[in-house]
Amino acid sequence: MEHGFAILFGLTMLYLAATSRMISHIRVLVVQGILLFLISFLGYKETPLLNLTFLTVETLVVKAIVIPWFLYRILKKTHENRDDEANIPHFYCLVVSSVILLGCFLASNYCISSMKNISHIYFGIAASAIIISLWLITIKHKIVSNVIEFITMENGVFLLSLSVAKEMPVLVNLGVLLDVFIAVYILGLFVKEIKKEFKDLEVSHLSELKDYSDD
Amino acid sequence: MIDNFINILLIFPLVAGVLMLFIRKKAFDNFMLFLYAILHFLSSSILVFSGETAAGQYFATDSLNKVFLIVLSFIFLMVAIYNIGYSRHLPNLNIKVNNKNVCLYQIMIIAFVWAMTGAILCTDLGIAWVLVEATTLTSAYLIYFNRTKNSIEAAWKYVFMCSIGIALAFIGIIFLNISAGNINTLNFSELQENAASFDPFWLKFAFVFILFGFGTKMGLAPVHFWLPDAHSESPSPISALLSATLLNSAFLVILRVFNILNAANCSLYARLMLCVMGFLSLFVTAVFIYHIKNYKRMLAYSSIENMGILAIGTALGGFAYYAVILHLIGHSLAKASFFLTSGNVLELYKTKNVKSTKGLMQADKKTGVLWIASFLGICAFPTSVLFISEFIIIKEMISNGYYLPCVLFALLLTVIIYGMARVVIKMTYKNIDKEKADMIEKNRGKITVSMYLPQVIMLVILFISGVYIPPFLNDIIQGAFLAFQTGF
Repeated sequence: MEHGFAILFGLTMLYLAATSRMISHIRVLVVQGILLFLISFLGYKETPLLNLTFLTVETLVVKAIVIPWFLYRILKKTHENRDDEANIPHFYCLVVSSVILLGCFLASNYCISSMKNISHIYFGIAASAIIISLWLITIKHKIVSNVIEFITMENGVFLLSLSVAKEMPVLVNLGVLLDVFIAVYILGLFVKEIKKEFKDLEVSHLSELKDYSDD
Repeated sequence: MIDNFINILLIFPLVAGVLMLFIRKKAFDNFMLFLYAILHFLSSSILVFSGETAAGQYFATDSLNKVFLIVLSFIFLMVAIYNIGYSRHLPNLNIKVNNKNVCLYQIMIIAFVWAMTGAILCTDLGIAWVLVEATTLTSAYLIYFNRTKNSIEAAWKYVFMCSIGIALAFIGIIFLNISAGNINTLNFSELQENAASFDPFWLKFAFVFILFGFGTKMGLAPVHFWLPDAHSESPSPISALLSATLLNSAFLVILRVFNILNAANCSLYARLMLCVMGFLSLFVTAVFIYHIKNYKRMLAYSSIENMGILAIGTALGGFAYYAVILHLIGHSLAKASFFLTSGNVLELYKTKNVKSTKGLMQADKKTGVLWIASFLGICAFPTSVLFISEFIIIKEMISNGYYLPCVLFALLLTVIIYGMARVVIKMTYKNIDKEKADMIEKNRGKITVSMYLPQVIMLVILFISGVYIPPFLNDIIQGAFLAFQTGF
C-alpha cells in the first residue's frame, strides 16, 4: 500500500515537469504532502504518540496546508500564473524527468535491493524527486517556480529519510521542519520584495551582481 | 557550574531578543547588543581558558571547538564596538531604512551570533545542521538590510543557494546514518568511536554531500557563488561577521565529519576531495580578483581563497593541522579588520567602485593606514600570523614531496596578492578627485573612534602573534592541534 503511494509521489514529479500553471504546481505540493503523510503514517509500526503527532503536524499541516496556502497567497498578490518560458519545452521536460525517474528506480533496484535497512522503492523515488527538482530549478524562469521546486526537493529529502529504517531524533526532525518552514517563509517575503522592485518575477533580473562589469 | 556559561551564551540572546522586540528603543537595542557581546566574550573566555570542559547533552566544549568559540567571541566583541559608531548613521542610510528596521537589524545580529555559537558548541550532527541552516535564515535579513535592488538579489541568492546546499548536506547525514548500520546516533563522539564498523562506501558517499552542503556555507569553490554577492552587499559589520565567523562555523562541522572518516580509515578519499576544492577555490579567486572592480567583492574573494587554504591544510594533515588552526585565527582577525575598514571607506566615498575611490590617505589617514595594514595582514606579510601558517603549509608540501601542488599553491597566492595589491595601492595613494573632496570632508566626521579601535586591536594581535603567542592561547592551539590529529 505504502509503495503505491510512493509511486504516486514519483508521478506527481512528472506532472510538475509537464505543467506550466503555477496553481497546478501548488496543488502538486498539497498532493505530495498528503501522500507523504499516508506513506509515513501507514509505514510506522508501534508508533509513540509524540512521533505520530509530530508526523501529522509536519506532513499534513505544514507540507499539505500551511506552505501551499502561503504560496497561494503570494501567487494571488503577485498575479504570476504561468511559467511558460522554461529553457526547454514541457514535452522534453516530461521526457527527461521520466528518464530520471526510471534511471533512479532501476539503479536503486539493482544496487540497493540487497541492503536490508533500506527500502529501495522509496530510495529510488526520493532520489529522482531530488534530481528532477534540482534540474527544474535550473531551467525554470520564474522565482515562484524555484521556490516550489525547492519544496518538492525537501519533500524528496523527507522521503529519502523514510527510506532508511532508522528514525531521526524528534529534536532534529523538529529543527529541520522549523528551518524549512522559515526558509520558505523568508523566500516568500523576498518574492514580494522582488515583485515591488523589479515589477515581475523573472529570475533573469537577479543577475546584476557580477564581476567583469561596472558596479 | 561551567555548564552555566553555555546557558548564558545560548539563553541570554533569546531573552534579549524578546525584550528588544517589545521595548524598541534605539539606546536599549545598542545596550543589549553590546551587553551580549561582553557576556559572550566573558563566558567564552571562562569556558575556553578555565581548563574545565563543559559537557552537556547537546552542547559542550572540547579541545577542537574552544578555538572556534573564542575566535567567534572576540570578533563579535570587536564588531559590537564598531557597531556603536556605525549604527548611529543607519537610519540615514537611505529613505527605505527606518528605526524599526534598525531595531530588527540589532536583534538579527544577536540571533545570528546565537545560531553560530550553537553550531560551534553542539555535539550532534543533526543539531549542527539545524543551527547552520538557522545562521542562513537569521543573516538573510542582515544582508537585505540596505533594501536596494542589489541587496535583494544578494539575499535571495544567499538564502536559496545555502538552503539547497544545506538540504544536500542533510542527504549526506541520511547516508551517514545508512553507513552506520545498526548504530543509531548522530553524536559526533559516538560516531567517531564506532567509525571503524561503518560501511565505507556509504560513508564516502555521505562525505561528498556533507562537504558540498557545508562547503556551500563555508564558501569553497565550486559552490561559492553566493559569497561575493552577500559579503559585498551587506553592511560592513555583517560582512565582517559573515567572513570571520560564519565560514569557520561551517568549517568546524566539515572537520568533525572529516575526523569520522579519519577514524574509519577513509581519510585518503576525504583529503583528495578537500584538496581539489581547496585548489579550485584558490584558482577561482586568482581568476576573479585580477580584474576586480568592487573592493568589497575583492575581500569576499579573499575569504574564498583563505577557506581554500584551510581545506588544503586539512588535506595535508600532520603538522599542517597546526597551520590550519593558526590560519583560521589569523584570517578571522585580518579579514574582520579589513571588512570593518572597508565600512569606513564606504562611509567616506559612498561607493564600492575601485575606480571612484582614490586617495584614501588624503581622505582619512587613519583609515588609509588601517587599509594598508589589513592588506599586509591578509597577504601574510611577516610578522602576520598568516605568514607562519602559509609557510608551514608550503614546508609540509615540500617535505611530503608534493612539489607540483606546492608550485601551484605559491603561484596562485602570488597572483592573488598581486591582484589585491593593485587595488589597495590604487585606492590608497592617488589624489582625491576634486569634485568629491567636499563630500569626503563632510563624511569624515561620521567616522568615530569606535570605528578605528577594533581594527587596531585586531591588527596588533595579528602581527604580534606571528612572533609571540601567549601561553594561555598557545595551550588552546596545542589542544586543538592534538584533537585534530587524534580525534576528540
